[in-house]
Amino acid sequence: MAQVFKPRANTIALAVLVSIPVVVVLIFAINYQLHASPYATLMGLYVDQPVPFSHKHHVGDIGLDCRYCHTGVENAAFAGLPPTHTCMTCHSQLFTNVAMLAPVRQSLATDIPIAWNRVYKLPDYVYFDHSVHVKNGIGCSTCHGDMSKQPLTMKEAPLTMGWCLKCHRDPGPHLRPVSEVFDPHVPDPQNDPQKAVALLRHYVIETGNMTDCSTCHR
Amino acid sequence: MTDIAARSAAPAPRLEISRRAALKLFTGGMAASLAGCSPPAEKNMPYVDMPEGLVPGEPQYYATALPLGGYGRGVIVKAVDGRPVKVSGNPRHPASLGSTDVFAEAALVELYDPERSRDIRGTQPINGWTEFLGELQQWSGKAKRGEAPLHLVTSTVASPTLLGQIASLKQQYPGTRWFAYDPLGGAEGARSLIPRLDRASVIVCLGADPLGPGPMQIMVSRAFIKGRMPESPGGMSRLYAVESTWTLTGANADHRLTLPPDKIDALAMEIVGRLEGHPGSPLPLDKGARHFVDEMIADLQGAGAGGLLLPGPMLREETVQAVLQSGRRLGAPFDRAATFPAQLRPEPFAAFEEILHSGKVQNLLLLDCNPAFDAAPDAKFAEALKKVPFAVHAGLYDNETADLCRWQLPLSHPLEAWSDLTSADGTVAIVQPLIRPLYDTRSQHEILGFYAGQTAPSGYDTVRQTWKQGAQDAGFEDWWRNALVKGVVSGRSPQFALSAGNTETSQPAPSQPPLDAPADSNSFVALIQPDQTIYDGRFTNNAWLQECPKPLSKGTWTNAVSLAPEDAAALGASDGDVLAISSSAGKIEGPLRIDRGQARGVVGLTLGYGREGAGAIGNGLGYNPRLLSPGSLRNVIRGIQVKKTGRRAPIPSTQMHFSLEGDLRKLLPEVAPGGSLPASGTKPSLFVPPPPRDPYSWAMVIDTAACTGCNACVVACQVENNVPIVGPDEVANGRAMHWLRIDSYDIGTAEEPRHGFEPVPCMQCEKAPCEPVCPVEASVHDTEGLNDQVYNRCVGTRFCQSNCPYKVRRFNWFAYNSGQEYKDLGKDPMPARNNPDVTVRARGVMEKCTYCVQRISGARRDAEKADKPIADGELKTACQEACPTEAISFGNLQDKGSMVNARRADPRHFTLLEELGTRPRTTYLARVRNANPKLAGGSA
Repeated sequence: MAQVFKPRANTIALAVLVSIPVVVVLIFAINYQLHASPYATLMGLYVDQPVPFSHKHHVGDIGLDCRYCHTGVENAAFAGLPPTHTCMTCHSQLFTNVAMLAPVRQSLATDIPIAWNRVYKLPDYVYFDHSVHVKNGIGCSTCHGDMSKQPLTMKEAPLTMGWCLKCHRDPGPHLRPVSEVFDPHVPDPQNDPQKAVALLRHYVIETGNMTDCSTCHR
Repeated sequence: MTDIAARSAAPAPRLEISRRAALKLFTGGMAASLAGCSPPAEKNMPYVDMPEGLVPGEPQYYATALPLGGYGRGVIVKAVDGRPVKVSGNPRHPASLGSTDVFAEAALVELYDPERSRDIRGTQPINGWTEFLGELQQWSGKAKRGEAPLHLVTSTVASPTLLGQIASLKQQYPGTRWFAYDPLGGAEGARSLIPRLDRASVIVCLGADPLGPGPMQIMVSRAFIKGRMPESPGGMSRLYAVESTWTLTGANADHRLTLPPDKIDALAMEIVGRLEGHPGSPLPLDKGARHFVDEMIADLQGAGAGGLLLPGPMLREETVQAVLQSGRRLGAPFDRAATFPAQLRPEPFAAFEEILHSGKVQNLLLLDCNPAFDAAPDAKFAEALKKVPFAVHAGLYDNETADLCRWQLPLSHPLEAWSDLTSADGTVAIVQPLIRPLYDTRSQHEILGFYAGQTAPSGYDTVRQTWKQGAQDAGFEDWWRNALVKGVVSGRSPQFALSAGNTETSQPAPSQPPLDAPADSNSFVALIQPDQTIYDGRFTNNAWLQECPKPLSKGTWTNAVSLAPEDAAALGASDGDVLAISSSAGKIEGPLRIDRGQARGVVGLTLGYGREGAGAIGNGLGYNPRLLSPGSLRNVIRGIQVKKTGRRAPIPSTQMHFSLEGDLRKLLPEVAPGGSLPASGTKPSLFVPPPPRDPYSWAMVIDTAACTGCNACVVACQVENNVPIVGPDEVANGRAMHWLRIDSYDIGTAEEPRHGFEPVPCMQCEKAPCEPVCPVEASVHDTEGLNDQVYNRCVGTRFCQSNCPYKVRRFNWFAYNSGQEYKDLGKDPMPARNNPDVTVRARGVMEKCTYCVQRISGARRDAEKADKPIADGELKTACQEACPTEAISFGNLQDKGSMVNARRADPRHFTLLEELGTRPRTTYLARVRNANPKLAGGSA
C-alpha cells in the first residue's frame, strides 16, 4: 500500500489549524470595518435629486441662512424641507423659465410635492431631535459639513451609533458659541479642555444621561 | 389515478448544472448579498404649501368633545402631521376635569377602523349621493304635502345645533315626528342623576352604579374620591352598596349587601318611609341583612343633609321618583342631568314601534342609532322596517339596522366633523374636527341639512349659525375663537339648549315598563346592565375595548352570564359552561361566570354583545340580552329559565395571568381612616445606591385608596405606547400585552366578599432582577432611574420576563403590530393611529412600561430649550393623565417639594414585594376602608 500522507501533509495540517482562528478573527475584523466604512454607510456619496439643488450656490454664493428653508431646526425634531412655495418666493421672479426648475413649477401647478431623495437617514428606532442640538451649541457643520461647498448634497457623516456616541460621551470639544451655530464655514471646533468646560457651563449641559439608551431609543 | 401514478413513477427531473456553474452562481450570490447591503432609498416629501402654524413632526393640540350615551365629555386631542394620535381630558371641561374614560381613550380606534362605512349604499351597487339626493327630493315633496310625513329616530341628542335643526324640520314638514331612545333603557329616571359625592358623608346606593361606565363617570369618580380622602373636610365619606350583581360602585363600597332587585325596590321604599318619619312594616330579611340595613339607615339618618340615597335603574320608576323627592326635601346632594328642552321633547321608542308596526311609516330617518340591535332585535321589527319604502340609516357603520334600510349614509366621526355637545351637567363644548373626513362621509348636521332642502349643507356654517346672535353679531368671531381654544362655551345660549337639571317635577320621566308578576321560586330574574368596557354596543367593533379586561371579572372579548355560586351548584354548572337563558319572548346562550357576592336567583347579563353587523372584530362575540324582551328596553326581566347546554366556552380572562406571589395583607394592605402601616424601616444593604448623576430621578406613587378600577389608565397606556391587540385566543394563552394591568383582589370574607384594585405598571426597580440576566444588555438602567428596554437590541431570550417578580414584561410572540395583526387591525388606515414617538415593536421582542419615556424625553428637551428645569406636575405619564381620580402621581424624587415625595412620606406608603429588596421606584399607598364600627364586627 502506498503512503497515505505525503511529507507536505504536516505543513498543510498546520496551516489549516492556524488559519481557522485567523479566518474567524478576519471575519469579525472585516465586518467591523465594513459596517462603518463609507461603502456601507454611503458616506461621501453625492445623491442625485429631481432638481439639482445646489447648496454651494444658495449658501455659498448667495449667502442664504440655513433657517430660511429648514424652518423647523430650532423648534422641532426635524429640520424640515422647504415647501414648494418657499422655492417660489424667489423663483417666481428669477430663472422663471429654466428647464432645470421645471419640476418645481410642476409641483406648484399640480399640488404634488417634489420627491427629494433622502441623504441623511437614521433607523426608525432612533429618535433624533435637531432643535435640542442646535440650542445646545452643536453647529450645523459639525454633522453636515460645510454646505457652502456642496453642489449636490452629500452625506458628510457615517451616522453610526459609534459616531453619535463619540460626541455624546464627551460633548465639550464639539460645542461652539451661539453666533457660530448656523455658520457653515466654521468647522467642528475641537475645543481645548478649558474652552470645552466653559461652553458646557454656558449651555448648562447635563452630561449624566447623554449615553443612556433611552436618550435616543424608545 | 393513473395520471398521478404515472407522474410519481417518472424520474425526478435532474438539475443539469456543472460544478463550475454552481461555483459561479455561488460567488455571484455572495457578491449580490454584499451589494444588497446598502440601505433602501427613501424619499422626502415636503409640502407644496405648508399649512400655517404646522411644524412637520411636531404635535398640535385641539379642544373638542366626544359623545357617550349622547352626552359630551370635553377632550383635548393630539394630532401629529394632521392625524389624531391621542385623546386626553380637557381640564377646563367639568365633565372631564382633565381626565378620560376608556371610551374616550379608544375613540381613535373607531376613527381609523377599516370597517367604518365609507360610501353611501343604496339598492343599486353604483348609487351615490346624487341618486340619494334625487330620491330625497321626491320624498321631501311628499312630506311637505303631508302625504309621507318624516319620522326621525335618534338616541339621546345633546347637540344644540341638532336640536335646532330638528325643530326647524318639524316646522318645515308638518306632521314630522321625532323619537329618541337610550339603548340602556331609562335615560331620564335613575340614570339621569348627577350625585354630588364630594358633598355627601353617607352614600347609600340601591342598585345604582354612579362609578360605573357612563357620561358622568369621570366627574362622579373625581367627586367621590374628593370626599374619600382621609384629609377631606368633614371627614371621609362612607359608601354602602345594596345590589344584585357586582358593579364598580359595589367594588368600591365600604359595606355591600346583596339582595335581588325586587327586595332592593322594597328596601328603597322602607328607607324613604323611615327618612320621612312614617315607617311602614319592615321588609322581611334574614338576621344579618336586617342588622346591616338598620345600621345603614341609622347612619344615613345621622348624616342629615350629607346623606345621599341613590336609586338605580333597576328600580321601578315610582320608587325612583319617591326616593328623589324625599332626597330633595332632605337636601341630599344631587343634581339632574341636562335634558331635552320643554318645547322640544321626543316621543319614546314604544311610540315609534307602534306606528312602525301599523305600517304608516313611509319616510324614515334613523340618525346614528341601531334599534335593530340595541332596542328591538326581533323578526317583527325587522320585517316592519324592511317594508318602509324610504328608510334611511345614517351611521358610522353599515350595521344591523342599516341592513334593513333602503339607504345607508356614511356618517363622519366626531373627530372629523363640526358640531356642539352638551355634557350631563349642562356645559356645552364646540366639537371641532381634527382631520378632514377620511371617506365620502357627512356629519349629522349636513344630513339634516339635506333633509331641510339645502343642496350643499356645511356643518361648520350650521354650527356657527346656532351660536350667532342675529345677523349683525360683531363680537362673534372673538367669542367663537375663544370657545374653540378653551373647549368650553360660555356667555351665550342657543335657541334650543338642553335645560340644565333639577326639573324632575316639570315632566314625568317616561316610565320603565312595570315589573312582571312576581316570579315563582323556580325561575330567575335577569338583570341587564351596560358592559363595563363595551357599554351599550356602540363600541363592539373596538378591539381596544374588547381586549381591555372587565374591571371585576377580568374577562375579555365576550360577555358572561353571572350566577351566584349556590345557583350554579344547583345547576351543576361550572365557570365557562354555556347556559341557555330563556324568557317568554326569546332565548340566548352565554358562558357562565360564577360570582361570589351576587344575589341568589339573579342572572347577571350585560349589553353590547351578540352582534352580527358590527364588523370583523365584534361579530359573533357573546350574546344580546335584549333578545329576552325585544322592544321593551327593560333592565329587569322576570320568569327566566336557566339550563345547561352541555357545551363549554371558557371566557378569555386575565385574572390568573401575571399573578404575584405573596401575602395578601402585604400585597394590598388596608387601613382605617387616619390609619397607618407599620414602618418597614430601611434594612442595611450592601448595595448602596450611587449618588444620582442627573438632576432627575423619576418615581411614581399609586394611591390604591383612590383607584376605582375604571381601566382608563390601561387603555390610555395602550394608545400612547402602541401596545398591540392580540385577540381572544392569545389572551387565553396568557399573552395579553397591556403594559399596565389592574390587579383585582378578593379581599373580603366569605360573608361579605369585597374587591380591591391595584394598578401594576413596571416598578422601575433600582436593583432590577431583569437587568443582570439579559445576555445582550437590552435591559439596562439609565441615570434617571428608568429601567430601559432597548427593543433594537433585544433578541427575545425572555430571561428578563422569567426573572421579573412583578410580572410586568410582555413578549411579542408574533408580530402583533407589524405584520401579523389580529383580524383586520393591520389594514389601512389603522396603522395611522400609532404614536410616532414610540417604536412599533417587532416579533420576538420584549416590551414593558417605560414611564412614558417619550414624554420624559420630550419634556426634557422642551425644558432645555426654555432654559428651565421640568416643574413638578408639568410632565404626566399617560396613565396619570387619564386617571379620573388622580390616583397616580409621578415626579422627580430629587425635587423635595414634589408630589411623589409628599406621598412617599404618607403613613399609608408601602412597597410591593418589599422583602425582595428590588427597591422599586413605583410604590403605593394603602387602601382605606371607612367601615361602620357597628357593622365592622358583625358583617365585615
